Amino acid sequence: MNSFRLLEHTADMGIEAKGDSLAALFRQAALGLRQILTCCTDIRHREEIQVEVRAQDPEELLVNWLNELLFLLEVRQLLPADFVIDSISDSRLRARVQGEFLDAERHFLEREIKAVTYHQIRVEQRAGGWRARFFVDL
Amino acid sequence: MRVKVEQIDACRWRIPREGAMRTDGLVFASRQMMAALQKEKSQALEQVRNVATLPGIVGPSIAMPDIHWGYGFPIGGVAAFDAQEGVVSPGGVGYDINCGVRLLRTGLSIDEVRPQLARLADELFRNVPSGVGSCRRDLRLSHAEERKVLTRGARWAVEQGFGCAEDLLHIEEQGVIAGADPQLLSERALERGRNQLGTLGSGNHFLELDLVEEIGDEQAARVLGLFPGQVTISIHTGSRGLGYQVCADHLQLMQKAARKYGIELPDRQLCCAPLSSPEGKRYLSAMACAANFAFANRQLISAWVRESFARVLGKSPEALRIATIYDVCHNIAKLETHQVEGQARQLCVHRKGATRAFPPGHPDIPEAYRSLGQPVLIPGDMGRHSCVLVGTAGAYEETFGSTCHGAGRVLSRHAAKRLARGRNIEAELAAQGIQIRAASRATLAEEISESYKDVLDVVSVVEQAGIGKLVARLRPLAVVKG
Repeated sequence: MNSFRLLEHTADMGIEAKGDSLAALFRQAALGLRQILTCCTDIRHREEIQVEVRAQDPEELLVNWLNELLFLLEVRQLLPADFVIDSISDSRLRARVQGEFLDAERHFLEREIKAVTYHQIRVEQRAGGWRARFFVDL
Repeated sequence: MRVKVEQIDACRWRIPREGAMRTDGLVFASRQMMAALQKEKSQALEQVRNVATLPGIVGPSIAMPDIHWGYGFPIGGVAAFDAQEGVVSPGGVGYDINCGVRLLRTGLSIDEVRPQLARLADELFRNVPSGVGSCRRDLRLSHAEERKVLTRGARWAVEQGFGCAEDLLHIEEQGVIAGADPQLLSERALERGRNQLGTLGSGNHFLELDLVEEIGDEQAARVLGLFPGQVTISIHTGSRGLGYQVCADHLQLMQKAARKYGIELPDRQLCCAPLSSPEGKRYLSAMACAANFAFANRQLISAWVRESFARVLGKSPEALRIATIYDVCHNIAKLETHQVEGQARQLCVHRKGATRAFPPGHPDIPEAYRSLGQPVLIPGDMGRHSCVLVGTAGAYEETFGSTCHGAGRVLSRHAAKRLARGRNIEAELAAQGIQIRAASRATLAEEISESYKDVLDVVSVVEQAGIGKLVARLRPLAVVKG
């Protein structure tokens, strides 16, 4: 049930994520984001950064969460390996981003994501779990 | 949902007003382009329709022939809003605020450059930071200096010794948009900007050496300093992480603002606020900061291009004669005065993947070019052509002085990668005499020529519609990609 897939878009890319809980959904969305950024599999759990994000609704929370990851990568050089969602509601998320600082010898970023957009964004609960769909600007 | 489209003539299509639309949509496209737009999964036409629902829109919701599916607004979109009753939308400008193109001319012919082309490409790739995360180690901005960049734009760069005062005369808005207030930027935006000034970025951003292959208007070409066989340089980049953060910050504010002002949105990315509201004014002021950052960015890169040419060719600046022809914004919202049904009206013109194309005689065009119309720089894909145009009276009357901005993507990145699989793109381009230097293989595959419409088809529609006039056609010699 917990999974993501990349969606086609003419200029950008989209992600459809599924999770059996809102927390699982947000982790899958972040894993999808990571896949667009890099195909590296050798990312070690050396650092852990705690983040807290707030928003007005689940869609905005998703945008803010993923944009937070882009900020950590761009400014703190933290390449994420995995994500632990410690607590989540419709308007607040607390999580730990695990990974390591970019190492030019071992890591390669394939694409720059400018931002996660609100275009056609959806976060919804369905029978059997949660689903999200969104597009990123490349 | 399929969008209803009516053909007006060979290059114009109307999306008739219906439902929540406040006006018609107007799409410039050939029959073939329109067929492709309607057939593919693309939602570009829906996006033209969605923009037509926004309050205070004046004239139609316009799309240029390089239109493709964007996020919120279509790419290739132009929409004008009344300064009193209309709105401003950060999504109508995009994350890469003042993404744009600068064209430099040289005094060099292809024969002088060809033997050194590979070295030049290497040197430009080394000297101008490109790709994700790259920056110039010798350019560290203090907080105070960064604020000056945001208020002074390209002027700041010239004051620091990057380029000359003459460059400033040949930049849209002379390289600085008034009203920028750095106090309105978040700490995050400032932080993202500090180490990214003077970087090209990745994706469709590039630095390119071109050959002037054909002149379409000799008199205009002479005035712009273009001649057949000449080498020119194009720089396509924008405001980098600082601009992305300004957009993201204001999209969040505008989500609330749209609710506060009771604006119904068909897509959340279209969130907006009245131009007369504090939220709208703050966005325009923050946007001006990011736009100025982008002008400074292209100015710095121009200086490093000049440096690279001097180093590789061992020639003096007088011998190289590298000068700015023009520098255009293609993601921006501008307060401009336009004639609407015989009345002068103050409008906020959003150009999202569209270029200002003011007509001959307009006071905002540099004096040297005023008799021609504003130079418009239209890059194509990395394997085919780019074009230099000038603005026309037709564009001023019909599209709020706007025209296309590029070739426009047709293939998704997935589709492009599938098409590139098993091919050596670098070798293919080398066989056509084009040197490629790319930081990312994925970018190279996604940016193959087939990903885009042929820019000559796009320009042909523009010319037929009278919203731009071709001056010169360029062909790539060397391309640096991020």
